[in-house]
Amino acid sequence: MSEMIQTVLIELTVNGRRRALTVAANHTLLDVLRDDLELTGTKECCLVGECGACTVSLDGRIVDSCLVLAVEADRAQVTTVEGLAVDGHVSPLQQAFLDKGAVQCGFCIPGQLVAAHALLAENPHPTVPEIQEGLAGNLCRCACYQQITEAVLATAEGTDR
Amino acid sequence: MRTDRIGGSPNRVGGIGRVTGSQQYVADIRLQDVLEVKLVTLDCARARIISIDTSAAEQVPGVLLVMTAAHLPQPVPRFGPQFSDRPIIAVGETKYHGEPVAAVAAETKDAAEAAARLVKVEYEELPAIFSVAAALDPAAVLVQDPALRPNDPLAGTNVLREHRFGWADVEATGADLVVENAYTFPIVTHFAIEPHAFMAAPDGDGIAVWSSIQHPNWLQKILSQILGLPLAKVRVYAPDPGGGFGGKQHTKLEPLVAFMALRTGRPVRLILTLDETFQAVRRTSAEVRVRTGFMSDGTLAFQDVEANYLIGAYADIADRVVSKGSYPAAGPYRVPAVRIVSRSVLSHTTPATAFRGFGNPQVNWAVESNIDEGARALGIDRLEIRLRNLARKGEAFIPVDTPADGDWEQTVRRAAELIGWGTPLPPGRGRGLALGIKSGPTTGLSYATVRLLADGSVIVYAGTSDMGQGARTVFAQIAATELGAPLDWITVVMGDTAVVPYDQQTSASRSTVLMGNAILRACQSIQAQLRTMAARLHGIDEADIVVEGGVVRLPDRELSIIDVLKPGLGRLGGELVGNGEMRKDAEPDHPLSGSAAFFEFNCTAIEAEVDQDTGDVILVRYVTVSDVGKALNPLQVTMQDEGAAIQGLGHTLMEHFIFDDKGRIRNLGAIDYRIPTSMDLPLDMQSAIVENADGPGPYGSKGMSEGALLCVAPAVAAAVRDATGVAIRDLPLTPERVWRALRDRSTS
Amino acid sequence: MHTFAYARPATLAEAVALLEAHGPAARLLAGGTDLVIRLRDGTARPAVVIDVKQIAELRPAIHEDGGRLVISAGTVMTDVASDERVRRSFPALAEAAAVVGSVQIRNRATLVGNVCNASPAADTAPSLLVYDATVVAEGPGGTRRIPVDDFFVRSGVTTLARGEIVTAIELPLPARKMGAVHMRRTRRRGHDLASVTLCCGVDDAEVTRLAYGSVGPRPVLMIDESGVLADPAAADEAKAPIFERMFADASPSPRSMRASPEYRLAMLRVLGARALRTAIDRLAQG
Repeated sequence: MSEMIQTVLIELTVNGRRRALTVAANHTLLDVLRDDLELTGTKECCLVGECGACTVSLDGRIVDSCLVLAVEADRAQVTTVEGLAVDGHVSPLQQAFLDKGAVQCGFCIPGQLVAAHALLAENPHPTVPEIQEGLAGNLCRCACYQQITEAVLATAEGTDR
Repeated sequence: MRTDRIGGSPNRVGGIGRVTGSQQYVADIRLQDVLEVKLVTLDCARARIISIDTSAAEQVPGVLLVMTAAHLPQPVPRFGPQFSDRPIIAVGETKYHGEPVAAVAAETKDAAEAAARLVKVEYEELPAIFSVAAALDPAAVLVQDPALRPNDPLAGTNVLREHRFGWADVEATGADLVVENAYTFPIVTHFAIEPHAFMAAPDGDGIAVWSSIQHPNWLQKILSQILGLPLAKVRVYAPDPGGGFGGKQHTKLEPLVAFMALRTGRPVRLILTLDETFQAVRRTSAEVRVRTGFMSDGTLAFQDVEANYLIGAYADIADRVVSKGSYPAAGPYRVPAVRIVSRSVLSHTTPATAFRGFGNPQVNWAVESNIDEGARALGIDRLEIRLRNLARKGEAFIPVDTPADGDWEQTVRRAAELIGWGTPLPPGRGRGLALGIKSGPTTGLSYATVRLLADGSVIVYAGTSDMGQGARTVFAQIAATELGAPLDWITVVMGDTAVVPYDQQTSASRSTVLMGNAILRACQSIQAQLRTMAARLHGIDEADIVVEGGVVRLPDRELSIIDVLKPGLGRLGGELVGNGEMRKDAEPDHPLSGSAAFFEFNCTAIEAEVDQDTGDVILVRYVTVSDVGKALNPLQVTMQDEGAAIQGLGHTLMEHFIFDDKGRIRNLGAIDYRIPTSMDLPLDMQSAIVENADGPGPYGSKGMSEGALLCVAPAVAAAVRDATGVAIRDLPLTPERVWRALRDRSTS
Repeated sequence: MHTFAYARPATLAEAVALLEAHGPAARLLAGGTDLVIRLRDGTARPAVVIDVKQIAELRPAIHEDGGRLVISAGTVMTDVASDERVRRSFPALAEAAAVVGSVQIRNRATLVGNVCNASPAADTAPSLLVYDATVVAEGPGGTRRIPVDDFFVRSGVTTLARGEIVTAIELPLPARKMGAVHMRRTRRRGHDLASVTLCCGVDDAEVTRLAYGSVGPRPVLMIDESGVLADPAAADEAKAPIFERMFADASPSPRSMRASPEYRLAMLRVLGARALRTAIDRLAQG
């Protein structure tokens, strides 16, 4: 019989690193990433799963971490923006965001990058409408949308080589 | 030309931090022993506070302080950029939905939230004013205590200020056709993805404050006054904001947080929720009545504009929004007679503040739509009528102000060419076009310091706030151009009043011009020192030495800067320091206290289809062209223009606050307040610029980034009208509104 | 956020026991895209939150069983929308699942959760009605199969009894050819809650099934067996009174922020006509 618990010990892998910590049942994965694990790259904004600033990858799929209780991430693999770099170098996608001017204030960018990474992993050669739809859950008020799309396209083209 | 220099588009300085998540916004900064703050607000637009019982809240473990007005110096200090009308926390009455009445500081967020819920406020809900009509009703209750406005003849009304601009006499000016309409511009909010964030901590005998503020020096001044501390003991840290758009220009909750820090002796941290930001900042909405007189050949005879802007319960900078925004309401045209009457009208709503475009999009929506209608009535092409009236470069189209400072016709013709104006359209499609103008800063002061270090690397100190527009990059490019250092050898330090010299503010698209020039002058000072050095080293007259483009030119050869610097500094080493200042002084007799440093000019042209059964507006092609003088970083210019255009699609097609009958905002938060997503873009979007190096900024640049927003609504509505025959004069053009207008047309 | 006890049962029996013990003081957590919002804003204040994702019987799965396609309770919208069998036999359901929120939401939100929330605007409800889906519930009294039309009562209320938990949605594999489509009205092209959500299916026996939501307390299914709607050659004037009969009970809330009742009722007719035309075309294309 499972127990009734207010705090829970969870084990999860974050950006390839195994972590074990005790979390409150009513804290979200976003809370735990930012406050307990001090990974502040993932951002807090709308808290209703609309803006995507809190997007992380959970077991290979992007989710709004503000709507995932930390306890639900027990035994999961989580990737945040901090985990996108490869061997200490920014990934081709991150570089493309810089090269194509897809970054203005930058606050939405961690979420955009995680979502775009996942999109390309699923669909290595997306069309523009597929990119727009795939990233529609990531709001950008600076409205860098065109440049973000170009960055994703450029990265997709780069993978031909 | 190396891409690091001006005119190139090097990667954004500070970009790496943004794409790796290492960029520290205020909410990411960890202070030791910080207390979390949660605000207590009432769920009504206006209420008389009878009592506040904090006892239960104080019992929550981990709570250190529940602050109310009673804990503050009495009378509770008031502040504001234009009028000191806003109390640090509500005093006696809450005047808008979300005005804080108390604030809890606790060891954890959970404790602060739990305690906030336990603060018992006994209050009496009062009738609230949240429309222009209600505010102007002679029987209306006064939003602001008249005692705050002694000697003000309007103190007994809800009109904070009335402004009158214009020239000649519109009543005495005849016209062949008069078009008169009323337009409305909705209440919208900034919705920066980073909610406002504030922290404060005692700092020795002073205080340190962190804020997502766009104007750190202005905040420093206000805190210094309120706290009774010298400026040198108030340190404001202003990390790059995650989007500002004007909503983070002015002091909001920093004084409250500062008092809480001083009282507890601990650092305190307040991060607003997104919903709370809707209650903290919004654009100044407006009702605009325009009477435009035309001659039969399409020339403008007069413009008669009456604009009532609904501002919030406290003025913030909203009255300036009104005066500066309405002042050029007659547009970039030659108009023989103009009368503009604009009012800032107080209401029990979120304090309205600056928002990209300031007060210009509101009147431009009305005035350009009226010109569209006049052209149709006269049977004149809507592009042609604008060209016929457009001010020519150098023309004093607004008497006593800066003359037209661009070849604006070039911008208009480029937009027309890109959209294919005049070419046949498929059935069901319409085209619209609009022009827009906004005054740049009217006064200004920016200081910059540049240090050329012993190895040729450079540090630039500039108090501008880089909230995404890319100021940091442009400033680095200027230094790269003038001092020859590659971009990755240049560090730009911003956002610390203890380290960075004074900058008045980041607004009005001013920074490229004002701060850019200050940096340029600082670099030029260093260049002068290098000339002196070279003269000394080589026994040459200074007058025969030129330093430019990163090289030192002697009569017989060229040296790199480092080849002068190293020997010049000698064994002791050291560095060269340059200071620069750019100042635009006030003109006391000017209606706005100063003429425009430059104008932002934009022409937007749109091709649209309307689904007449549902009211959906499909933007098929979108063209925006701006007159920028010189694009110091062309990619960033494109991003600003396209970003402004898409942001403008928000208030044009989908954004608006929905109030209930008591003045509460119903659509707080992201689910029912819709902003454009990646799927809401025009199907094809192009931006272009006109560069004639005719701006007052470095290398002939002008400020930009707001112009493209001015024309979105009138251009879209004009295209909708062209496609359907229906003129709509209220925003946003939601599918339902368009559907209703189409239906009413066919039944009338 | 509200404080609650968190339970993560490993078996269905445990979950049922917890539900029976706590009744309305317990809430089930699957995708969380609805519940977590409510826990945060205080509109849900359960003593216990029961996470169903570790229950073996509810693990994400779509499989065929005796002439039915069975979608387990743990199956998320992304997988419903992309599953070949759903797209082939129940394309309108795939279309609906593909527009629930954003990719991030669809990767968590479950089809069963969407149905159990019983929002009148639930995008999957109209196609489930058209496709004659059945809700499979497990409870203290054993297994119950509830036709989805008998499952919805009104906003937030279903006919589940205390202690019952939905384990799957079953869709009868079509005996007849059908052309069907899902359509909706939103305030922007980006993801949004629907102000009208609608599914129309026309089968080769000339029966038209039209289900709609967000214009009343619960989604509604109407059926035309006259063959008039299904007939591509029939005039609009002949179809109009049938549509009117179908929409007669639509009663959109005047309090909604998304759209006025007038607009919704008008769009119901516009979407109904468009969906019918598309359904007829799809049937003809096979």
